Formats: sequence, structure tokens, C-alpha cells
Amino acid sequence: MTLSVSGLCAEHSGRIILRPTSLDIEPGVRIGLVGASGSGKSTFGHALTDDLQARGRVVSHVPQSPDEALDPLRSMAFHWREAETALGVPHNAQRQRELLQSLGIAPGDLGKRPWGWSRGMQQRFVIAMALIGSPELIVLDEPTSALDPVVAADTMNLLDRFLEGCQTAMILITHDLCLAARRVAQLMVMHDGQIVERAATADLLHRPETEAARALTAHRSWLALPC
Amino acid sequence: MLTIDAVSAHRGKLMALSDISLTLDRGKTLAVTGESGAGKSTLIACILGLLKPSGGTITWSGAPVRTCRPALVMQEPRMAFNPALPLLQSVLEPLKARRAMVLPDRLTRLCKGLELSPELLDRKPAEVSIGQAQRAGILRALVAAPPLILFDEPLSALDSVTQKHTARLIAELQAEEGFSSLIVTHDLGYACACSDRIAVLRSGRIEEAGTPGSFVAAPQTEYGKKLRDAAFALGALEAAE
Repeated sequence: MTLSVSGLCAEHSGRIILRPTSLDIEPGVRIGLVGASGSGKSTFGHALTDDLQARGRVVSHVPQSPDEALDPLRSMAFHWREAETALGVPHNAQRQRELLQSLGIAPGDLGKRPWGWSRGMQQRFVIAMALIGSPELIVLDEPTSALDPVVAADTMNLLDRFLEGCQTAMILITHDLCLAARRVAQLMVMHDGQIVERAATADLLHRPETEAARALTAHRSWLALPC
Repeated sequence: MLTIDAVSAHRGKLMALSDISLTLDRGKTLAVTGESGAGKSTLIACILGLLKPSGGTITWSGAPVRTCRPALVMQEPRMAFNPALPLLQSVLEPLKARRAMVLPDRLTRLCKGLELSPELLDRKPAEVSIGQAQRAGILRALVAAPPLILFDEPLSALDSVTQKHTARLIAELQAEEGFSSLIVTHDLGYACACSDRIAVLRSGRIEEAGTPGSFVAAPQTEYGKKLRDAAFALGALEAAE
């Protein structure tokens, strides 16, 4: 079923940080949300997640850094159980094995605390937790920016494979147009607290219509910069 | 010229660097890349004399590196500044250390290029965004025009458009003033676009070193290939059209 929000807005200390925004998200679609720092991408991700969850939809959110999602004093197994409890689903060991395996995490380390794991493994674990309830939508906020290139590429490849043929829609929030362009079918450009452009990835890359999209596409590659 | 000759270093019992030899000519840029924990930041600590190598030597034109008063752009932008002082005061400290004056025109140009307003530089580190603090860190490194600047992930907190503007400003100043740059970064796109040579570090050793062009076209090692392919998969590198 298509997820819809309308008139979503947010303000902070009297300043409008998200202008009224409406959006339809079809099942299984992968959308990249790109824009400069401070354009309101993360705010939109949080507002979207909160609004849909409040209306009973299953939506999960993966923050930029696993530090934001994992308590250093609790074991990985505890985090998993807590996520299951929050979703109101019973513990399912087989589902857990499948999810961890599909994100390349070896079983047996769940007794350790986060700091016993590498950052790449932590981030994959957080993504696996986000998939427990077979969400209708997963919102990933700069999911690879804290990771090595090798680990980051592995993580995105594993996630891509997992989502293939799945009904879970994905919103990938990133300032990196190149990263988004390789992973999503559609791109949305955020500028000054609103979505100013939404188009198929190839169209936006080759025929950006707004100033914000033109700036992003013009500076997307280091190739254009003869330092 | 910076000469790193057969340098090894320990972090506690761990051998963090092993037999590293690299050179960096005046006015040139060397990028050092590799996975987390490869020893990139340890190398910077050794160059600055913050960590004593357990073997080998590091010199600047035959003299200890500290004689050239190198500048460092630190990886954690907010941690790089005294939390109690306005940014501008910290930014001007390298000038005090050199008993030098900054030309107003130069300061204006740097601030404009880095999109730092006087009002922003009057704030304390906690009152600015990480990206703004990172740009203030770059300003501090450039302000006294040192002959050697070490950049530790200098653009990591900036969005992709600002990254390119900042890299371009640094490159323009480098062409005019002839300082040498050593850039430590995960971002292979940045490393390849803005350096004359690139060295891949892994587990404290140099896996391979060469020009960005040769690295992108044909990495010499399995790990180099893996790193390059990952950068392609992430869109950090793009095949030349």
C-alpha cells in the first residue's frame, strides 16, 4: 500500500526548518533524498518516520552513526530483544539468523557489547534491527558516512540484495549525489526546508530543473575538479 | 621537502607503522588513504613529533619537521578548538606563535572562500555546526601560510558542493604559495582529484604508492583493487567519460 504524508512541517526555536511537504511512497520504491548540509534532510527523515509511525505504519529509521542507536553498556542480543519488544513481535531466532546472515554478520557474537564489534558490523547490525518488523519503509540517514569505503560498499551491496524483490521501500538520505545515484531509482532534492525537485535518477542527473539540483549535479564528481 | 625514511611506530604494544618511506616535494600533494586503523593518523602524529617513531627518521629539508612549523587540520573539528574561546582567537594563534601579521586582504579572501563570516568567527566552537568548525580549522591552518600542511580528513563534515569549493580554494592557494600538503582521507575521489601521489596504507604498511591516474587505472595490489572498486561502487570515483 502506498504511504502518504501531507502537510508535514517542523519548526525549531521559532524557525521553520521543514516547510509543508507532501509525499507518496509506493511499495518497494527506492528514493534518494539529497541536498546541502542544513537543507532539512534529516529533519524530514525524522518527521516522516514519526508521522507514519504515529499512524500505525511500520517504518524504521537508521541513524548516521551506530553510536546513536546502540547503548555501549548493553549486549547486541539485548538491543535485538529491545527492538522486538518495541515492535511487539515475539523473539524469532530463525528470523534473527536470516537477517544477520543476509547482512554478513556471523552468529555467535551477540553476547558482546557494541565496542566488541567493528563499526561496519555495528552499522550492519543496526540496519538488520531496522528490518526486524519487515517495515513498509526504511529511512537511512547517511548510512555509510562513518564507514571505510570497502566496508561502506559491502554494506550497501548487502542491503541492496536484501531489498531486491521486497515490498520495503527505502529512502536514502545523503549529501552525496554520486552515492544516491547508484542506489536509487528516484531522487528528491531538498533545499531550504522543502523538496524542490523529484525526478527519476537519470533525468535529474542530466536535466536538473532547479538551482539546488543544478548545483548538486555540477559538483557531484571530483572529476570536474582539476586541483 | 618532507622525507619519511623507514619509519616504524608503536601504539602501546601494537606496531602501528612498519617501515614507512615516503617523500613529499615542495608545492606537491601526497594523499594517504586506507581503512580505519591502518595507521594514517599515527603517521601524522609521527610527522608532527607528537609520537616518537621507534625506528627511522622524518625530516623537512634535512632538518627536524618542527623547524618549518607545519599546520594541522584535525579530524574532529570541534575538538580542535579551545571550547572557551571564540573561533577567531584560536584561528589567529598560529600568527601569534610566529609573531606574524595577517594581511587583511588575505584574511578576507580566506574567509570568503571558506564561507566564514566575521559574526560566525566570533562564536565559540559549540555554537557552530561541525562543518563550520571544520572550515574554521582549515582557515587556521592556512592563515599563517606555513610551508607544510597536514590535512586529516579535512572535508569529512562538508556537503559535496562545499567540499569541492573548499578543495579548489586550497589548490589555488597552494599553486600561488607553494606549500606542500599531506592529506589523509578515506575519500578516494578527493584523494585522486587533489593529489600528485597517492599511498595506500594497510595494517601499518604501505600497500602501494603511485600517481592517482595509475592507481585508478591499475592498482598494483589486491587490496588496492578492492579499495578502488569500493570507491566506484559508492560513486566516490567515476570512470572518466
